[in-house]
Amino acid sequence: MSNQQTFRIVLRPVQTELTAPAGSALRDLLFAQGVEFPCGGQGRCRGCRVHVLEGQASVNEAQRERLSAEEIAQGWRLACQCALEDDLVIELRQWDAAILVDETPFAFEPRPGLGVAVDLGTTTLVAQLLDLRTGHVLAVRTALNSQARFGADVMSRVQFAVPKDGAQQLCHLIRQQIGSLIEQLVFAAQVPEGEITDVVVVGNTVMHHLFCGLDVEPLSRYPFESKQLGLQTFRAGDLGWKLSGRAQVRFLPCLGGFVGSDILAGILATRLREREGLNGLVDLGTNGEIVIGNRQRLLCASTAAGPAFEGARISMGMRASTGAMSEVTVDDHSIHCRVLGNVAPQGLCGSGLVDAVAAGLELGLIQPSGRFTGGAGAWELAAPVVLTQSDIRELQLAKGAIAAGIRILLDRFGASAGDLKKLYLAGAFGNYINRASAQRIGLISFPAEKVEAAGNTALLGAKLALFCPEGEDGSFAHLRQQTEHVALNADQDFQDTFVEEMAFPNMRARAWELDAGETPEPNTQSLEPRI
Amino acid sequence: MTQFEELQQAIIDGKAPVSKALTEKMLKEGIRPGEFFPKAIIPAMDEVGRRMRECEFFIPEVLIAARAARASSDILRPLLVGDEAISSAGTVVCGTVKGDLHDIGKNIVAMMLESAGFKIVDLGVDVSAEKVVDAVRQNQANLVAMSALLTTTMVNMKSVVEALSAAGLRDKVKIMVGGAPVTDAWAHSIGADGYGKDAPAAVELARQLSVA
Repeated sequence: MSNQQTFRIVLRPVQTELTAPAGSALRDLLFAQGVEFPCGGQGRCRGCRVHVLEGQASVNEAQRERLSAEEIAQGWRLACQCALEDDLVIELRQWDAAILVDETPFAFEPRPGLGVAVDLGTTTLVAQLLDLRTGHVLAVRTALNSQARFGADVMSRVQFAVPKDGAQQLCHLIRQQIGSLIEQLVFAAQVPEGEITDVVVVGNTVMHHLFCGLDVEPLSRYPFESKQLGLQTFRAGDLGWKLSGRAQVRFLPCLGGFVGSDILAGILATRLREREGLNGLVDLGTNGEIVIGNRQRLLCASTAAGPAFEGARISMGMRASTGAMSEVTVDDHSIHCRVLGNVAPQGLCGSGLVDAVAAGLELGLIQPSGRFTGGAGAWELAAPVVLTQSDIRELQLAKGAIAAGIRILLDRFGASAGDLKKLYLAGAFGNYINRASAQRIGLISFPAEKVEAAGNTALLGAKLALFCPEGEDGSFAHLRQQTEHVALNADQDFQDTFVEEMAFPNMRARAWELDAGETPEPNTQSLEPRI
Repeated sequence: MTQFEELQQAIIDGKAPVSKALTEKMLKEGIRPGEFFPKAIIPAMDEVGRRMRECEFFIPEVLIAARAARASSDILRPLLVGDEAISSAGTVVCGTVKGDLHDIGKNIVAMMLESAGFKIVDLGVDVSAEKVVDAVRQNQANLVAMSALLTTTMVNMKSVVEALSAAGLRDKVKIMVGGAPVTDAWAHSIGADGYGKDAPAAVELARQLSVA
């Protein structure tokens, strides 16, 4: 075999064709096509499995550990573990991600110039170009975070960053990617780039540190506290961006622990600190972030919910894309399933998982303990999609962590779920989740009408910040002072509460149901936080 | 149903007040404290382990069962005399490694090992390698069990193995590791003696290692 030999790869169902030299890592070739590597390409999960329809791809030890003999015989491989050794026809297990873009109208004071708001997520990026005189969105671009091939979640990103020059590599990647997104925005809107005066970026603490070139080592271990949470300001030129002249780039400050400026932006967007009564904001992701508060004071926390809401570590889990079962409803003792794209079902996404478990509870197929009634191992929702016992356990861990976090923050206000006026759900998942199902599984323990899907609050908050050109001494610093970070892992009640919240509610036991929606108006005087 | 079977059932069902009351009643009737472990507590927790492994029990059920077992063993341990007082199974020093605070898994393993007759020295969370070395010395432990839930803290398991070697204790103790990101291959690569996939597996492993 000569060193110059190249091979051809055909990707299905997209029908893309690639050519690459022998020995190239499939990981790099497929990542460029938008395939994700949840464990960072270390062979520790099954997220990147692909179906090799034609051609040879060798199986190593890591693959034998993660794939069954039957799967291997059928041609399933972990893309991250394969090097190119033959012409291949591959069917991808993953589909394009649906990224939530914000279109909420908002109030603003006109300013001259153009601005760019960026929501830098662990998985996805959204950038919007705005005319600051009119508030109009001129162009939008979305992308998968290019760091994702080095780990899907923040902890694996930190793990990659800490040794050697990992942090530098990640910093360079993300700065370059956002710079190129901005170039695309300018090109799409046909505006002079010199008119861009402001760029505001928001993201969680790890994204903040990696973008700004700060040391992430403190975020790798207990107590997970960095001292460099503040507002970071750059000139576009310092970041290697091709924006001429005076554009100022601000990465908004973080709130504490892993709670970053995406949540600070969410507080701005939902106006939590302007409200008299007690309100909450929850961002459901691998790291669930929670804010509870009123005009006087805000408490925030993050809790490791695991990837169940994103369809990961679920036996037939997948993202909310074509083929995903996204809704399950109960009608007269039978279930009805809705599949995205109106095709045959291929898997279960987060909202479908929550619905399926809620339906199982409703039909008595699932016990409040999470166990299938009668000890069944799995429940076929619609062939070939099944819900297994361990899927329910994964969901119990995820919802237990979020519900416990909400309860502990409410406790610090001396309040209970009934005192909450409104709970805003941020992010894509918050948009798709069925609120009644979320209530049925005990993810939230108040009536569905108190829950509002708030959309991409991080992006909306970043846009609002474009109209407040102030620095560290301004309103962000004040908001940070007002917001106290609660370290849940150090809270002595957290573990017990978490374990309690793993079970599904027995609906009759819910206090709010007893007074049938007549929740008394909370007395704001009594809602001062207890310390 | 014999009284031992009743006590087993109370533990499996997680009824701590029942297991406590039954233990007291049986002691009054003259049953020797040492009999409870082989005849009720150990078989009950083995059954809990089996149900956990078969997904019938989840974390909450296992924790309440372990609490019920503890309600009984807390009464019994001070009463054990002579040979009975010396834990036949062995002494385990356990904790989560430096930088790691996730201890639900570690607590379940500790409670199940305790119910299986091991003496437990639980160092808690965020435990340094030096603390492990000191505890092994002071308690003449023959097993060390370390847990980590984060890929970033898992590396500190290696420091524990190294510190025990440096202190000249490596041939006196067996080291077992566990936690979500940990694998068998990882355990071998850092020179540990074994990996427990879940709590029942950890109990099985501890039994094998302490006779080896």
